[in-house]
This record gives sequence, structure tokens and C-alpha cells, in this order.
Amino acid sequence: MQSRFDSARKRFIAFVLLGWILLLISDRVGELRNYQGAFVAMYSLAIACLILLTGYSGQLSLGQGALMAVGGYSAALTATKLSWHPVVALIMAVLVAGLFGLIIGFAVARLSGPYLSGTTLALAIALPSLANTFPSLGAEEGIIFDVGKAPTRFGEAFSQYKWFFWISALAALISIWLIANLLASKFGRNWKAIRDNQTAAALSGLNPGRLKVTAFAISSAFSGLAGALLVMLISAVSPSAFPLSLSFLILTGAVVTGVYNLRGVVFGALVLVVIPEIADAVVTSLGGSERLTSTLPGFLVSLLLILAVLFTPNGPGHLIHFRKKNTKK
Amino acid sequence: MIRTRNLKRLVIASMGVGSLVGALVAPAQAADPGVTATTIKLGISSPTTGSAGRVYGKLPGAMKAYFDYINANGGVNGRKITLVHRDDKYLPTLAATQTTNLILKDQVFALVGALGTATHSKAYTAAALAAKNVPDLFVNTGYSGFANKTKYPTTFTILPSYAMEAKVMAKYIKDNLAGQPFALFAQADEFGKDGIAGFTAAKTPPANTQLYPTSSVTSDVAKTYLTAISATPLKLVILFGTTDVTATVLKAAEDLNLVGKLTFMAGSVGGDANTLLALGVKPTTIDGLVAASFFPDAKDTTDAYVSQFMEINTKYNPGVTFDNVVLQGMNSAMLTVQALRAAGKDLTRAGLISAIESKGATFASAGLVPLNFSSTSRIGYNGYWFGKLNAKGELKPATGTTPVVYTTDSGAGDVVKSDYKRLPLPAKGIPTNS
Repeated sequence: MQSRFDSARKRFIAFVLLGWILLLISDRVGELRNYQGAFVAMYSLAIACLILLTGYSGQLSLGQGALMAVGGYSAALTATKLSWHPVVALIMAVLVAGLFGLIIGFAVARLSGPYLSGTTLALAIALPSLANTFPSLGAEEGIIFDVGKAPTRFGEAFSQYKWFFWISALAALISIWLIANLLASKFGRNWKAIRDNQTAAALSGLNPGRLKVTAFAISSAFSGLAGALLVMLISAVSPSAFPLSLSFLILTGAVVTGVYNLRGVVFGALVLVVIPEIADAVVTSLGGSERLTSTLPGFLVSLLLILAVLFTPNGPGHLIHFRKKNTKK
Repeated sequence: MIRTRNLKRLVIASMGVGSLVGALVAPAQAADPGVTATTIKLGISSPTTGSAGRVYGKLPGAMKAYFDYINANGGVNGRKITLVHRDDKYLPTLAATQTTNLILKDQVFALVGALGTATHSKAYTAAALAAKNVPDLFVNTGYSGFANKTKYPTTFTILPSYAMEAKVMAKYIKDNLAGQPFALFAQADEFGKDGIAGFTAAKTPPANTQLYPTSSVTSDVAKTYLTAISATPLKLVILFGTTDVTATVLKAAEDLNLVGKLTFMAGSVGGDANTLLALGVKPTTIDGLVAASFFPDAKDTTDAYVSQFMEINTKYNPGVTFDNVVLQGMNSAMLTVQALRAAGKDLTRAGLISAIESKGATFASAGLVPLNFSSTSRIGYNGYWFGKLNAKGELKPATGTTPVVYTTDSGAGDVVKSDYKRLPLPAKGIPTNS
């Protein structure tokens, strides 16, 4: 009991310190790095949600983009149509996406393996394009989501992008801290139990169906927040903000991170942000066409996914853990 | 005890890392980027792939070609112009990130020739163009909302507003088509809404209005629409959208055998004959199509501007057919060069904006309609002339032998006939203004 309390306290202090370091860094780097940092924070949260769902509760989702879209639209509609404060819009993103996840969770809890991934894949394809059917959702022109400028007390030099980074990083830190605590709690253990052997878990008195629905709803709620952050970063929501490739991008980030633990989420997110930079650099140095620039990131993501599955199927974080164990022996 | 010690180590290590990062990384600098003693870096976000890319894909290449021509002739005040293009596929969210990349990553001095209303309005906010005072020149949109200086303090659009276009169309229908009632097929965004506002201001609202979301018009959608319209007494259909949509509707009319039974009228954005032919519309279908324009016909080799731009296109943009989009790109590039010259040797973002406000209306341009830039007006051209396309895709004046130009405003002002005479082409198409 004492040990669990210590580890929770340690986790809390680690997150506070990480936040403090990020704050210092954001003050010292340029706008581009702040903007990219905001994307890293948003991807970190999205990857953490997928790890909760797939790595812990064992439900393979290929449709995180759809869950993010629900959050993105909820936030934009709350801020634009209801004219509510952006913070309320972010909270609404969590609530509506959580509710959506709960409903979908009931439907998909009976599915597993390819059936589940097929269903979530269909969601990722169909859901964002629904906006084209309802004019109130703004179709491809989208709906603006403007969180406004930073408070004037931060000074004139406080850029829009630093403000984005602060919002993204704070939202991601708090959410990932909550997810980490949840995974270290009874819920985390129960999810692992149903993931490893559903029958044995049921025989031990666990309710796999309820646990799966809970995991889906919680993952969806935080994915919704990640979607709202994404929409904030691109100032508007429309179906093109949530392409199918986004779901695969997050899956790649999770595989690179290692789907069974949260340790490397920032690394996974960094990789996702760095890939287009690498593609840009490669095309510039090779003198390739613009068409190559737009297709190379997709190729690199696919390549990385294959390499990660081949060489570090449980992620680099797991590899380090494994080496440590071996050294101790 | 051991855990407490580990915790202390973690705290000390983190503080150390934080301070080190703080000390090592230099603070960001704020100045007008993209200009050196020998270069000016400009940026454009526009579609070169996707359905809109097939229509407007030539735009950045045409601009680059003109800038290369100017660079080969000494540049602007000794500075060579480079144009960085990023493809936004005509998707608003992609335009937002691509424009942000142009500002933050490519560090361009100014944006020039961005395309689209829904795309650029999102990009403007996302890339914080107002806060950074980034000149946003000659945006290819007619959305009158961009004229709002408070919301878009750095934007100058080039096309007449869609409201102006609708008002001039209403005048044409009244004068030449006996004011017959018409159906309006328009894009369901600021583009279409602006058009409806224009028709309403001209007191000739459409008898039937159908708005469609961008990129949603398939052959089936067009056929359903035309079938419904052909069941009404309406014989005139106004297409207020992009050229790819005009092509889809005209091809649907061919399939339904409605060409000739319905009269089609296309706005300036959607009436590019070469593109319509390239997209598979039959020459006999476009023969007689009424279209609005503020430019000379892109096939008119007797026009001084057109023939000069064609020459530049052949040398600096080889293999690309000259059409309205190439003409538009080169014209915007020529206006940009004049704006940069007018801003002087000591080039700043604020100086460039103020130069267009004070001297923009006097720039030489291929347009047959006056330019309206001033400290209170951010809309470039302010009128149209109407013509009929022939089977070769040439736009000939609908009445008489010379284009009759009408000008107006985006509000309740009258549509008036203009006797504007454009400035002659600068020698060899190289501006020398100051």
C-alpha cells in the first residue's frame, strides 16, 4: 500500500517537473518549435489513448481518427455556435467523445480481432465525411475553432504558438497523468487480465464486457480531447482534418512507442512530427519533385511500422526494460 | 529511505536539465524574415493535386516563370525573387498547416496568390498572418469578407468580389436576356453566399437556388439537379462555382441531351474555356456559353499583355499550355513586382502593405477593369465584361466587337458602364515603377 502511494507520488512529481521543464523550453525556443511541440503533445495524448485501448484492454482500434473527429467537432461547435469559452469547449470534447465511445463501446465489446479492427476502420472512414451531409457541420469549409490570443498579462512577445503549446502540453500532461494512474490502478490490472485471457478473467469474477466498454469510453474521451487540440492547432475543423491516414499515423506512433506501456509516448509522437521534416530534407537534398514531398511521409510511416514490428515489436521502451532485467540476472 | 533519495535525485536532475536547456537554447528573434540584400522569399499555398489541382495547378508555375524572367533581368532593386509553393489540395485544414509552414518553417517575407475562400480564411487565422503583419497579396478569391480590414488587415484580394460579379450578371440578364428568371447552382460557402447577396442587392433574386458543398458535385448529383431544373419553366442556369463543377454540370447536360434546351452562364471562376475543354466538355457545348471576365481573352495574341506573357511562358514555363490560369498567375506576379518596387529598397512588411494602399491602383495590369487598391479598399478589380465562348474556346464580346466593361461595388451601389483604359504594357513586360 505504502509502495503504491510512493509510486503515485513519484509519478505526480515527475509530471510536474516535466511540465516545468517544458515551460522553460517553450520560453527559449522559436515559434516553429513551439508549434511542433504542440503537435507532439497532441500526438502523445492520442497515442496514450490507443495504448490504453489496444495495449491494455486488448481492443485493436484502427479508428482513433473518428474518435478524435467527434472531439474536434464538439469543441468547434461549442466555441463557435454556442459561443462558450474555449476551456468549456475542450471539456465538452472530452464529454461528448466519452459518451460516443460509451455507445460505440457497447456495440463493439462483442467483437474482437479482425472484426473489431474492421468496424473501427469503417468508423474512421465514414464518420468524418458525415459532416459533408449536414450543412450545420460546415462540410469541407469547416467550422472555425479559435481559442483566442494569450492573456495580455503574459506580455506582447508571448506568441500564438507558445500559447498553443502551453494549452496542448498542459492538457496532454494532465490527461496522460490521469491515464497513467488509471493503468497503475485496479482498472489497469483488470484490463490486462481480460487482454491476456478473457475466459480466465471471467472465471476470476471480472466482467470482460463492462471492462471493455469502460476502456473504450475512457480512451474515446481523451482521444476527443486530442482531436480538439488538433483542431485548435489548425484553427478549424473539417473532414479533411481527420483522414484515414491519421488513424494509421497514431497506430504507428503507438507501435514505435510500444503498445504495452506508456513510457515512450513522447518518443512516438516526436517520430510522427519528425517524419515530414525528414521527408522534406530528403526531397530538398535529392532535388525531388513536390509530389515526392507529399508522398514520402506516408512511405516513411509505413516503413517505420514494418521495421518496428520486425525488430522491436513491443517498442523501444520495452527493449530497455528487457535489457535491464537481463543485466540484473 | 532509498525511494526518498531517488526522488531527490529525480528532482535535482530535472532541475538541472531544465536550467541547462534554458541556458543553451537562444531566445527567438523577431524581425521581418525572408529578405536579404540579394533575395526576397515569397510563398504560396494553392492546389496542385486533387480535383482543384487539375484546374488551378498551373498557377504557382506561371508565377515562378514570371519571377524567373524578372530575375534574369536584374530582379527587384537587385534582389532575386524565390517563390516557395506548398500544395494544399484545396482543403482548408491542409491550407492552414501549409500556410503556417510557409511562415514558420520557410520564413517567407510575404504570401502571394493564395487560392480559395474556405481555404485561405482558415489559413489566415492558423498562420497568425495578422499578428505577424505578413503581407497577403493578390489572393485569388472574390469573397468580399476579405475586404474587412479589421479582420484581415494584411490581405489584398485580386478578383472582383462575388457580390460584384452577381450584380453585373443581373445587369447583363436585364439588358440582354429580357430579365428572364434563372436558377442558381452555387457553392455552399462564402463564395455562393456572397453571390446570393449580390443578386439580392441587384433586386433580382434567383427563382431557384441550389447550394452544394465543395467537392461534392459528382456526375449523378449534377444529373439529378439538371433533371429537376428541366422540369421547371426556367431556361437559364447560372453556375457560381469552380471550373471543375462547371465541367461536370455541362457534361451531365450533354448526357441528358439538355444542351440548347437550357442556357448556361458561368462566373469568372468557373468559365475557363481551355480547362473546360481539357476536362472533356464538347466544343459544341461551350459554343455560346455566356461567361464573365475581367481579363482579355487568353487566346487573343493581338493583346500586348497576353502576347508578352505567352512569350515568357514559352521560355520559362516550357511544356505548359497558356490559358486563363497562366495569365492570372503571370499578372499577379507582375503586380507583385510592382508592389515590391513601390515599397522601395528598404523593404519591410509594413512598407509593402502601405505601398499597395498608396500606389496599387496605378499598377500596370492586364485587366480590362480598373484596380481599386487604396487605404480603404482591399479588393483589386471591381467589374466585369461579358462574352460568349465559341467552339474554339475563345471568349468574344457578347455584344459588339469590343468588351463592354461594367463596374460596381459589393454593396448597394449601381452597376455602371466604365470607359476605363488600362495602362500600356511596361517595355518587355518589366515594370520600372517606383
